[in-house]
Amino acid sequence: MHTWLEPKYFAWLEQGFVFTLALCVCTGLCATLSGFVLAIARTAQSAAIARAASLYVFVFRNSPLLVQLLFWYFGAAALLPSNWMTWLNTPHAATWGPVALRWPSFELFAGWIGLTCYTTAFVGEEFRAGMRGVSRAQEHAAAALGMGRYTTLRHVILPQALRIATPPLAGQYMNLVKNSSLTMAIGVAELSYMSRQVDTETFKTFQAFGIATAFYVLSIAVIEVALVVWQRTGSRALQRGRA
Amino acid sequence: MKHRIRGAVLPALLTALLAVASNAAHADRLDDIKKAGVLRVAAFDSNPPFGFVDPKDNQIVGLDVDYARAVAKSLGVKLEVQPTNPANRIAFLKSGKVDLVFANFTITDERKKEVDFSTPYFASGTQFIAKKGTLKSPDQLNSLRIGADKGTTNEQQVRAKYPNATIVAYDDTPFAFAALRTGNVQAITQDGPKLVALLARVPDKANYEIPAFTISNDYEGVGVPKGEARLLDVVNATLTHIEADGEAAQIYDKWFGPKSAAPLPRLFKIGDPQKSS
Repeated sequence: MHTWLEPKYFAWLEQGFVFTLALCVCTGLCATLSGFVLAIARTAQSAAIARAASLYVFVFRNSPLLVQLLFWYFGAAALLPSNWMTWLNTPHAATWGPVALRWPSFELFAGWIGLTCYTTAFVGEEFRAGMRGVSRAQEHAAAALGMGRYTTLRHVILPQALRIATPPLAGQYMNLVKNSSLTMAIGVAELSYMSRQVDTETFKTFQAFGIATAFYVLSIAVIEVALVVWQRTGSRALQRGRA
Repeated sequence: MKHRIRGAVLPALLTALLAVASNAAHADRLDDIKKAGVLRVAAFDSNPPFGFVDPKDNQIVGLDVDYARAVAKSLGVKLEVQPTNPANRIAFLKSGKVDLVFANFTITDERKKEVDFSTPYFASGTQFIAKKGTLKSPDQLNSLRIGADKGTTNEQQVRAKYPNATIVAYDDTPFAFAALRTGNVQAITQDGPKLVALLARVPDKANYEIPAFTISNDYEGVGVPKGEARLLDVVNATLTHIEADGEAAQIYDKWFGPKSAAPLPRLFKIGDPQKSS
């Protein structure tokens, strides 16, 4: 308690935090895009597409994230051909001048897939809830004006749906940051993994987990601030633009 | 492993008191043993295959007991086995309840202050399991992905000695082994005897091997009461002798050989130079 962490261990925690952030940003972007598609699919006129989309939500929302992560890392890996696994488990890098792109480790890849699939189901449901929050009368009115399904979605339903869905969506992004800690079970070297590693090497339990907690609280606070700023400025600007 | 030192402090204090009380500074323990015709030895009763109770006849058997029997034979006396646990080993020796301790007794500097140790007759350390043919020498570790158990000394040793190895830490050994099976890591690390026990339960164990090297070394010796130089000499001479005539290797093979339940290559022979851990 009397001594603080050595810089080396602090660097480990920072590295873990960068991993957590990178993982969350990638997952957040992909889950938002695919969640959007999922919401559209659930309201599609084709019964087959709508049913497939609701089956997806049923499967991914009704099973624990930890089990899903273990499935992607251990289960799916066992089904893939062994030369694919060898490729996925060896480092690959592409360089363009000063920029080097590295293919992520399989742990990170599986963690990203698992988190994305799980978060997509929740984000999709928030989008759908937003769309259902727009009165059906508006849809009929748009149809009466001669708008097609796409034009109705684009200009009538979605701008309002997005505004309704924004606060619960921010909640889902906060959950995403916290859920990302579960990827430590499959060996992703993110913040929780690193804090545990620092704890076992230094026995400074309070410092290790204290700093990790502070990092988590900080990143969630940033999401909250972003939500407030968006609600004050962004969504109004969006409304004005569409009106 | 972490608890070894802490566990030794309390018994050491207790026995210090006992030693003062029963300070029977008699002539020589070796003469006493020969006069009584019995060698009293402390061994584990629940740590297979080092020392455990055989369910068939309720006798304590195991690797340690077999080595103890060899010493009793060379003294020409009967063997009497006293069950012990790790915490009691030093206390038993110092209080004179037993003459020798054969109980997977790791030689440490702290313990050397309390008791004397014979030349080591067993060694263990951090080892690896890999798919057959992938891991031959420790140098390769630097270029491999190694699965480890979170928070073990094994994980820390690999990180310290092979900084370029990619270490992926899992919650426990079965997870690490699952990652090895799916090809996410090329090797996993743990203490040799534990890896052996793990491998014994695996259905496709023919595909895996435990490469014949360790990256850390713990040496186990016979605990001898302090100051019994003649007894210590006899124990050392016996150990050297049974290594020379092949009996030591036979005893090892009986418990860890290729046909045993837990095959582990014999990397250390009695009298080999000790590597620093």
